[in-house]
Amino acid sequence: MLLVLKNIGEQNNLFLAAVMLYLIAAVFALALMKHHKLCNLVTNTICMAAALIGIAAAILRISTDTILTPVTIFESRITFLFLEIKIDQLSAFFVLCLSVLVLCVSIYSIGYNSHYYQKRNVGFFNFLYASFIMSMLMVIISGNAIFFYLSWEAMSLISYFLVIFESEHEENRRAGRLYIIMTHLGTAFLLIGFMIMFAYTQSFDMFGSSELIPEMAKNLMFICFLIGFGTKAGVIPLHIWLPYAHPAAPSNVSALMSGFMIKTAIYGLIRFVLCYLQVQQVWWGAVILCIGIVSAVLGVAYAIMEHNIKRLLAFHSVENIGIILIGLGVSFIAAAQNNDFLSGLALVAALLHTFNHALFKGGLFLGAGSLQYATHTKDIEKLGGLIHKMPVTAVMVLCFSLAISAIVPFNGFISEWLTYQALFLNINMGMAGQNILSILSIAALALSGALAAACFVKLFGISFLGLPRSDDAAQAKEVPLAMNIGMGILAALCLIIGVFPAVFVKLADQVAGSILGASVVETLQSGFMSATVPLAVSENSIAPAEILAALAVVILMVLLTLRLCFGKLKARKYGTWDCGFESINARMQYTATGFSKPIRIVLSILYRPGRKVVIEKGESDYFPKSVKYQVWTEPIFEKYLYNPVIRVLKSGSEKMICLVQTGSVHVYLLYIFISILALMFYNRVV
Amino acid sequence: MTNYLDALSVLLLVSAFILMGNKRIGSYIKTFQFQSALVALLTGIIGISSFAQDGRIDVLIICAVVIGIKVLFIPYLLKKTYAKVAYRVEKDFFLNIPILVLICCLMVVFSYFSFAETMGINTGTINNQIVNSFSVILIGLLFMISRKKAIGQIVGFLVIENGIFVTALFATHGMPFIVDMGILMDILVAVIIMGIMVFRIDEKFGSINVDNIKDLRG
Repeated sequence: MLLVLKNIGEQNNLFLAAVMLYLIAAVFALALMKHHKLCNLVTNTICMAAALIGIAAAILRISTDTILTPVTIFESRITFLFLEIKIDQLSAFFVLCLSVLVLCVSIYSIGYNSHYYQKRNVGFFNFLYASFIMSMLMVIISGNAIFFYLSWEAMSLISYFLVIFESEHEENRRAGRLYIIMTHLGTAFLLIGFMIMFAYTQSFDMFGSSELIPEMAKNLMFICFLIGFGTKAGVIPLHIWLPYAHPAAPSNVSALMSGFMIKTAIYGLIRFVLCYLQVQQVWWGAVILCIGIVSAVLGVAYAIMEHNIKRLLAFHSVENIGIILIGLGVSFIAAAQNNDFLSGLALVAALLHTFNHALFKGGLFLGAGSLQYATHTKDIEKLGGLIHKMPVTAVMVLCFSLAISAIVPFNGFISEWLTYQALFLNINMGMAGQNILSILSIAALALSGALAAACFVKLFGISFLGLPRSDDAAQAKEVPLAMNIGMGILAALCLIIGVFPAVFVKLADQVAGSILGASVVETLQSGFMSATVPLAVSENSIAPAEILAALAVVILMVLLTLRLCFGKLKARKYGTWDCGFESINARMQYTATGFSKPIRIVLSILYRPGRKVVIEKGESDYFPKSVKYQVWTEPIFEKYLYNPVIRVLKSGSEKMICLVQTGSVHVYLLYIFISILALMFYNRVV
Repeated sequence: MTNYLDALSVLLLVSAFILMGNKRIGSYIKTFQFQSALVALLTGIIGISSFAQDGRIDVLIICAVVIGIKVLFIPYLLKKTYAKVAYRVEKDFFLNIPILVLICCLMVVFSYFSFAETMGINTGTINNQIVNSFSVILIGLLFMISRKKAIGQIVGFLVIENGIFVTALFATHGMPFIVDMGILMDILVAVIIMGIMVFRIDEKFGSINVDNIKDLRG
């Protein structure tokens, strides 16, 4: 069976089968529109099957080294418009990433979508859901730039419809509008890039050679791709759609969007800049590195200020994309300097972080969905004490929080550790400027890691610990089993990758090796169980499994010592001291705003915080009737970058419309006259 | 035959210049009638030659239709409209007539500049007929721009159409019959509608000055 599957044609068929299954799922969703429960079950089951096939196909593809021939699945009489798929190991890696996420999200959706039953068109939602996954899959497996572009556009449009799915809220419609404007801005730049590509090579083959393209055009293409993919990835300063669109979408969709859709941009950058253009200049990598640093630090800095759980997570996506781009930037710098080893290592770090981020960020969005499902609010200031009501969810959200904060036994640590390694290695060999850049990015990465940890202490502490801050939170119940299973698989994967990283590093290494031709895995000291990660290069190595074992031994020893010294400890249940008040209530707790205050003060140059206190006086100054405290931070990118541009555009177009559309017939005739003259002139000159 | 056609194309151009120099609405119509007669003559010559060479009679039929529509019926319609409207003479122009005529000369030079090296039209050498007939189109457009009264716009439109018709005829020596007929019918209907509209506009607003349309702007 395995031998048969290893056949090249069969493998392509497996990928095609996955695409087809998603299509079937979409059709079924529409056909069973009337029966909400059945429709939801059937669609998600088919999606799960497709995801399993995708996982199998991807793992088979990564582990075989053959070169695949492209398969044309649709040909038309229009030149260049033919759809073909071509899957190399890089595509397969991203298919794996997508399929794992889809598997878990689909299991989760079986439970999650139940709150739509009889209220919304579940069939249409599932149709969009399945076709959204299909479009993402096609972006990854497309074999030429036209197909890539079409799938990319389909992905953007379908995700737009998913963002505005709950369109009765004004803010969702606004989020959708912003999203579609930004995403089309990015797509326009991609189109320019593809046109330059075609102008010089006369083909849209993105697996071909770019030798015919002159240096200047390559630089231009790089800039176009950077802006185009950067918009989708949500790098600062092109991130503004992300914190609006992700909260607006239903949680399972935002898990997919944040977990995978923004990663298609990473795929695009690797595919077009690293594989196609073959990184020509060191400054390409430096630019990506700088963008990565800014995104990582500012993304998490903004995340801390958010109280809307999904907006908070969306800003963390910006941060993690930044970390991925740091890895990618180092990889590009090293590739331009022909340092294959470092390039491979940094690429492995970036790929692994892409995979890890898909797992834990997907999981976190699912967790946010569970919270919203149980409490009907996204505001963490209204939550609290949920660890008693929803213990399973709490444990899993804790796992994901630890993973995203890069704490040791979880997967986030592995990829960030590799990124650090790559940055340190980058110091040893570069020139002065490159050294400074590397050192700064190490500092920035450390800062963002610490801030992320602070942010998730806030998220977890405020929403799960303490006392419930609202009635909704007090009445919350544990979510359906399917939702917990979906999250559970992701949490388990986070832990497994964290404890046995060597397996997954090898997987990423094969992908990187197929692109750069250099394998880093030989330098890794690895065994299956001990999994020392990663390098003996500067004696920096760490083995999570060993640490975990050591930790267990230490805890055991401490407990034993305590037991031996002090005898059996008795648990005493007692009320918390309430400072002399009659009873403890929820309003005495730390709030999320209060928690983030120190950081707001330290980084006030970035946040430009403002506050307003309104006191309604009572009979005495000491007993005011009510006190209102309002605090806000300024969104500097929107205020100083986007708003001026929008103002200029708006007033400019208002003026233009008055200037051009005068209402006079003669002026309109004059326009025709001038254009005819211009055409005649063109006829002569060209 | 080429000599006749050259001469006729120059006459067409001259008629366009005459039109540009006119101020009286009555003489607009007469000039247009004259130009249409030239177009009909030209169509007839080409029709006879194509009948003599290939035995085709469609261009001759077109010629008859042109005489019917453009030389007789449309001027008649325009005259009727003209009789109902109070305006006789155009008084205010954006540019005065000598300057307009000068611009027309520039247009002829420009179309010569544009088409002098275009190969593949009919003979392959510099084609004066195309240059002249295209100048007629441009002058017609310029006429529409320079006149403020609606009836001037109609006549300008018809002159443009004459120019296009003649250009097509010179370039191809007989377009497909159905296309020519279609264009002629279009023109007829357009003129009927425009005539009625001008009449109505005048009745409603007491003016056929197209500048007043500006007030409709939101």
